[in-house]
Amino acid sequence: MALGLDPIFLTRAAYATTRGLGPANSRKTLVCIFQRGAVDGLNMVVPHGDPFYYRERPRIAIPRPGATGGAIDLDGHFGLHPSLQALAPLYRDGSLAIVHAVGSPDHTRSHFDAQDYMESGTPGIKSTPDGWLNRVLQTQHALEHRETPFRGVALGQELPRSLRGAAPALAIDKLQAFGLRAPEPARDRLTAAFEELYQGSATGLVASSSAEAFEAVRMLKSVNPGQYEPANGAEYPRGPLANSLRQIAQLIKADVGVEIAFADVGGWDTHVNQGASDGQLAQHLAEFGQALAAFSRDLGERMSDVVVLTMSEFGRTVAENGNVGTDHGHATAMFVLGGGVRGGKVYGAWPTLDPAKRFDGRDLAVTTDFRDLFAEVLTGHLGTADLGAVFPGHAQPAPVGVLRAS
Amino acid sequence: MAVLGKLTLGAALLVLASPPDPLSTAGWRLASPPGPLSTAAWRGGTRRADSLERARALHVLNRLTYGPRPGDVDGVLAMGVDRFIEQQLHPETINDDALRPWLQRYEVLHMSPQELANVFLQEQLQRRARQAGAGQLVPPLRHAAVRGRRMSRARRLAGELQQAAVVRAALSQRQLDEVMVDFWTNHFNVFLGKGADRFLLPDFIEHTIRPHAMGTFGDLLIATAESPAMLFYLDNAESVASGSTPPQLAQLNQRLERARMGGRPRFGRRADPARMDSLRRRIEQRLPRGINENYGRELMELHTLGVNGGYTQQDVINVARILTGWSITPPRQGGGFVFRAWAHDRGAKVVLGHEFPAGHEMDEGIALLKLLAMHPATRRHVSSELCAKFVADDPPEGCVDAAVAAWQHTGGDMREVLGAIFRSPEFWASENANNKFKTPLEFVVSAVRAVGATPDSTLALAQIVGRLGEPLYLDQPPTGYPESQASWVNSGALLQRFNVAMGLAAGRAPGVTVNVEGLIPEGTDPGGLAEAVDRAILHGAASANTLRVIREETADLGPRQARVTAVGLALGSPEFQRQ
Repeated sequence: MALGLDPIFLTRAAYATTRGLGPANSRKTLVCIFQRGAVDGLNMVVPHGDPFYYRERPRIAIPRPGATGGAIDLDGHFGLHPSLQALAPLYRDGSLAIVHAVGSPDHTRSHFDAQDYMESGTPGIKSTPDGWLNRVLQTQHALEHRETPFRGVALGQELPRSLRGAAPALAIDKLQAFGLRAPEPARDRLTAAFEELYQGSATGLVASSSAEAFEAVRMLKSVNPGQYEPANGAEYPRGPLANSLRQIAQLIKADVGVEIAFADVGGWDTHVNQGASDGQLAQHLAEFGQALAAFSRDLGERMSDVVVLTMSEFGRTVAENGNVGTDHGHATAMFVLGGGVRGGKVYGAWPTLDPAKRFDGRDLAVTTDFRDLFAEVLTGHLGTADLGAVFPGHAQPAPVGVLRAS
Repeated sequence: MAVLGKLTLGAALLVLASPPDPLSTAGWRLASPPGPLSTAAWRGGTRRADSLERARALHVLNRLTYGPRPGDVDGVLAMGVDRFIEQQLHPETINDDALRPWLQRYEVLHMSPQELANVFLQEQLQRRARQAGAGQLVPPLRHAAVRGRRMSRARRLAGELQQAAVVRAALSQRQLDEVMVDFWTNHFNVFLGKGADRFLLPDFIEHTIRPHAMGTFGDLLIATAESPAMLFYLDNAESVASGSTPPQLAQLNQRLERARMGGRPRFGRRADPARMDSLRRRIEQRLPRGINENYGRELMELHTLGVNGGYTQQDVINVARILTGWSITPPRQGGGFVFRAWAHDRGAKVVLGHEFPAGHEMDEGIALLKLLAMHPATRRHVSSELCAKFVADDPPEGCVDAAVAAWQHTGGDMREVLGAIFRSPEFWASENANNKFKTPLEFVVSAVRAVGATPDSTLALAQIVGRLGEPLYLDQPPTGYPESQASWVNSGALLQRFNVAMGLAAGRAPGVTVNVEGLIPEGTDPGGLAEAVDRAILHGAASANTLRVIREETADLGPRQARVTAVGLALGSPEFQRQ
């Protein structure tokens, strides 16, 4: 592999000494993907067995399995959007689970509020100062993970609400461009100068963020991200999500101590001309599915230490709107992929699309509180003990069943 | 602990305003009675009064402008701080002719909406042809804009629009006006990357936002509601009363009916019913068929009342019904505003308890927007945002109350609302000086201004702002770019700022010409370099540590490299990230 043996070997060796003391799950990583804009769960994971689905979506429904452009059947009732072809093998080999009709107990149809609630982990409460993933970092036992600046990493320019809070977390746009740009050895000297400047003169958030920055620069230097080649013939598609996942894979393999990684991907707010088997949503789903599949293949056996959890702030209306699109709805579908996942199944009670069973008479009702799913992933995968601290007021989540309990 | 002999801004504030008890820091005020803005009490020329006035001038330059250029603090002092504020509140009284030749460069500012639409239509056709050939997706604007490849004309125009904003922020004398244009651009955010907004946005910025930036809120609100860019971005252009049929389709249906009956067309070829039927179905599929709530919701949540403004889902639906018919013409016809009476919901509606009787077409929408503009929740929501922009991320109540009161008295005249904020004690409170973390736009422009740099003819400055996380007009959600420190401080972004700082100082940054020699003269004693950049760039705000680091880092360098490093470290220092 082109990663360069020495630095990785050294980092690993250094890390192993600390990790040896921790419990077995200490190198587990949770990767969260936020589909911003409210993905249409009903066309992503198609309830082709529900008669109301075709009745309400004459122009945008995904045809039944077997028909041209039809859904990829999963269990006789649900099917994947044909653009998610890349995910079908993962579902069949049992590493991919789906939860349908999942969402927030809060009724808002505002993107802003719903994202805020999902990321703070406290539906209906605006004043929560930190994000749920940050609280995971705050509560995880200190011995389990080496304190590295990469414990919580977001790929992108900004730290998402989920990762903001008292525990340090890092936003990285591009691994390669991370750090000061100057030829060596000027680079090291300049980095040291800025470090001293900020150590002595900055306060509060600026001080802690800058300290993390310099620590991260040191660690990344030994990883040599410019030389990365995905393993096992994995081919990432073009696009922002794939770029993020490729870099997350790189960090995980480099053993720099990533416990939580976060990436987001937009373009799901399909009010107009969302398309059916082809079109706008289909294109986005194709990148989404191919990126996830490439990530899984790239990590290979290491996937047994990784769980990928996808989420979106809400779903979309059951009925198509006047613009061959869908408006803001309620429940949606989420994917859980990776080690310890009891895949090959669509979880969650199906409320049906019967108008009488819909939320407000129009949207897919929520039968699984997103916090129940998130909590199960935390306990089952990361071994998080104090769920009450992560989801205040929701310390006793209902079991969903997607993960083997640890 | 008093730092004697060196009056930094922070020290000046503390020394000048500190009560006898050094432990009670609460309530220290920069200004003293009789009035926060009145300088009368300080005239008479003690050194303390002079440095207080300097601190006031600097604070005003930090907040009402994109940061001081060399000489600006003295300029404001010569004019008087109060007069400077007054003048900035009336941009039309400020001569800005020097900016004109700069703006001449940007083709995008001088094209008509139809000309802009044509560019995009043409490129769309070419792209489709290419796509059909290669089966390839076009990379999204945000990612493609920074690549070094030759830009398409449409991309270049978008880049010009971004660059024009940065150049105006850097060079305009009407600084507060520019700050307000940025504020409203984010308040009424439109995403440049969404379809037709690629050609509708220039008109939105130039003719919707700019003329009203210092005007009355209600006028601005109505202008945004009627703007094609907003109508397209938040989908109102597609929102039609359910069951309404456009006249063209009604005609087609009639012709189809006649053809079926076997009647001869009055003129032209005899129509083939099967072909007409498939045409009708194709048209029907692409036609909007019901209301779209998107704009109605954001109008209340983001533009006016605020998320806790007391509206219901039913209000959202009724606002959408009232605004049915507010649409735009197709790009071929310029993409301008049009009210489509056939699409308008003819029923009576109720919003926030106010009745909107049926049958008043477009007037219903105007009445609704006036209602929203004057609503108490709107006053408080927008005033809070303004105080967060000009005073502190967590807007102090007193300042918000002052703004709300001025809004109420003047019907939302922004000059008066801003004046009330600038007169409020909270604006001048010492804890609110230097407490705002600069947004990427503010950081880049203030750095350019601080070193007296001149933008060049490229579009690079706007790209730097983009790389720091704020590509202008490319924020996808309707919230717009945030103002708070927490949104912009993270380790990755800080490192990028250091790079920009060093690049600017070294003259390596694309997009500007920097004359470090003009700022720090060549003969400057190397031992005094740290103090020189503190005076010139940080206006005395440098901490002892910052001075020490700059001194140590430059000690063994040649004269030019030492100057460059000192300026770079100053621009990258924690002190310079604040305003």
